[in-house]
Amino acid sequence: MARTILEVTNLNKHFGGIYVTQNVNFKMVEGEQSAIIGPNGAGKSTFFNLLTGYHKPDSGRVVFDGHDITGKAPHVIARMGISRAFQVSNIFPRLTVLENVRSAVHSHAGVTMNMFSRADRIGVEETREYLSLCGLSGKPDEIAGRLSQGDKKKLELAIALAGKPKLLFLDEPTAGMSLDETEETMNLVDRLNRELRLTVLFTEHDMSVVFNHANRVVLLHRGEIIIEGSPEQVRDDETVQKIYLGEHQI
Amino acid sequence: MASDGRDGHRGSGWLRRLIGRRDISGPVFLALGIGALFVPLLPGEFWTDVGTEILILGLFAMSFNMIYGFMGQISFGHAAFFGLGAYGTAIMFREFTGGTVEITTAQFFLALLAGPPVAAAGALAVGYFCVRLTGIYFAILTLAFGELAFYVVFSWYGFTGGDDGIQRLLPPPFFRESIVYYYFTLTIVTAAACLMGRIVRSPFGYVLRSMRENKLRTQFLGINVRRYMLVNFTIAGAFAGVAGALWGPFTRSVSPLLLGWQESGIAIFMTLIGGAGYFAGPAVGSIVYTFLQAYVTGFTVYWPLTIGVIILLIVMFAPGGLLGAIDDRLLARLRGGGGGANGETGSSTRGGGES
Repeated sequence: MARTILEVTNLNKHFGGIYVTQNVNFKMVEGEQSAIIGPNGAGKSTFFNLLTGYHKPDSGRVVFDGHDITGKAPHVIARMGISRAFQVSNIFPRLTVLENVRSAVHSHAGVTMNMFSRADRIGVEETREYLSLCGLSGKPDEIAGRLSQGDKKKLELAIALAGKPKLLFLDEPTAGMSLDETEETMNLVDRLNRELRLTVLFTEHDMSVVFNHANRVVLLHRGEIIIEGSPEQVRDDETVQKIYLGEHQI
Repeated sequence: MASDGRDGHRGSGWLRRLIGRRDISGPVFLALGIGALFVPLLPGEFWTDVGTEILILGLFAMSFNMIYGFMGQISFGHAAFFGLGAYGTAIMFREFTGGTVEITTAQFFLALLAGPPVAAAGALAVGYFCVRLTGIYFAILTLAFGELAFYVVFSWYGFTGGDDGIQRLLPPPFFRESIVYYYFTLTIVTAAACLMGRIVRSPFGYVLRSMRENKLRTQFLGINVRRYMLVNFTIAGAFAGVAGALWGPFTRSVSPLLLGWQESGIAIFMTLIGGAGYFAGPAVGSIVYTFLQAYVTGFTVYWPLTIGVIILLIVMFAPGGLLGAIDDRLLARLRGGGGGANGETGSSTRGGGES
C-alpha cells in the first residue's frame, strides 16, 4: 500500500472576515499526481501558500513525510523536500538561466556557505541536465528576465526540480505556454511522476490538462473542498459544472 | 554571455575577449593594480598620500557594496564599522605606547589586527537586528545604529577620547615614509579585494545575488535568507574594519566623525560614481571621488557643491555609474548589440538596492 506523504487536517485560514481556507482535510500518497481546480479566488494558491510556509494557518495541522510542518518557515519546508513553482513565474530575473538553476542545485547540495570555491565550477553538469530536461538547454546564458513567458515557466520548473523534491506543487504550470509547450511540459511532469515516483499537486484552469494528467481531482470553492475523486467522477459531477457555470450558491 | 552580444564582436584576440566579457571588473582591476604600482612615481608625497587614501576608502566602499550591490540592501550606517575598525586599532596603539613611547613593529601589526574583529563584532550585533528588515526599513535601522555608535564613541571620553578622538598614532619609523605606507596599504587592500572577489564569485556570493533578485524564491530554495544576510553583513563590516584599521596610522589620529553618517555617505557616493553593479565599481569611484576632492579643494572650498553636481549628473545620465556607462555604451557598441554584455537587463553582478 502506498505511503501517505502529505496529510492536511482541519486547515483554516482567514484574512480579516474572509475565510480563504475552511476545515480542509486532504491526503496525498507517494507517487500520486493530483490537481486542484476551482474558479478564481477559490483559495488554490492560498492552499499552496499554507502548505509551503508562506502563510501560517490559523488552525489545523500539516504533516509531510511523517513530520509536522505546520507554520514552519518556507526554507525549512523546502529543505524537507517540498518544492513549488508559482502562478506568476518567480525566478531571478537578472541572473542567467544557468545561474538560476545552479542556485537551486547549490542549495540542495548544501554548498551555499562555501565562500572560496568558484560557483561556476560546482554543479554545472547537473544544472545542464535540468536545463535539458526542461527544454532550456539552448539558452543557458540568456538573462532569465528576457525569456518568453513559457520559457520562464519552464525555468521555474527546472529550479523546482533542481531541489530534488519529494513533493512538487505547481501553480498553473502551463499558464502562458503554447499548446505544444503545454503538452511538452505536462508530459515531462508525467514522466517525473512515473519514473521518479515524484508526488505532484498542481492547479490548472485548462481542464484538458487537468483531466488528461491528474490521477485525482479536487475541487476547491471558497476555501472548502467540495468534491474529490477521479477525473471522470469530477467531470461528470453536476456541482462542478454549476460552479464553473457560476450557478452554485453556497 | 548573451548571443546577441557575441556575434558583433570586432577585433581579435585579447581585445575581443575583453569586449565580450560579462563583467569588466577583472580587466579594470588589473589595469588599476598596474597603475597603482606607479603612483609613488608622481612628483611629491602629496599624490602618494592621495593614493593611500584612495586605496583605504576604496576598500571601505567595496565592503559597502557587498551589502548594496550584491545583497541589494542599502546601509546608511556602514561607517560605524569603518570607525570601529579604526578605534580598535587606535585603542591598541594607545595601550601599547601609553601615548609616549614608540610602537614596535610587532605591536603595530597586533594593533592593526585588532581593528577588523572589533568591526565584525559590531556588525554582527547591529546586523542581528537589521536583517529582520529590508528596503527602506533596513536602511533607516542601519542609520540609527550608525548614529548610536557615533554618539557612544563621541561621549565616552574615558575610553575613546570623546570628541577629541585618539591622537599620535605614529606607526613604527619604517612605515612612516609615505611611499612605504602606500605599498603596505596596497598589499593589504589587494589581498582584501582578492578575498572579497573570491567571496562574490563563490556559491555564497550567488546566494547574495539571489536574495537581491528575489528573496521569496531564495527562501523556497531552502535558504535561510536572514542568516545569509547576517553573515554577509558581518563580513562586510570586517572588511570595513580592515580599511578603518589602516586609516588611523595613515592620518595619525582617529575621531568620532569616522563613524558618522557623512562617512557612510562617502562609501555610497563612491559606489554610485563607479557603478554598484560592478565589483570594481567602488574602487573606480574612490579614485574619482578622492582625486577630485584633492584637486578641487585646491581651488575652492565648495567641494560639497562639486560632488553634489557630479552625483546629480551620474544619477541622471549614467545610473549604472562610470563602469556601467563604459559597459553599456562603449563596449556594447563595439560588441555590435544593444545594452551591456547581457543586454539592457544587466549582468548578474548588477544590482544595487531593492529590485
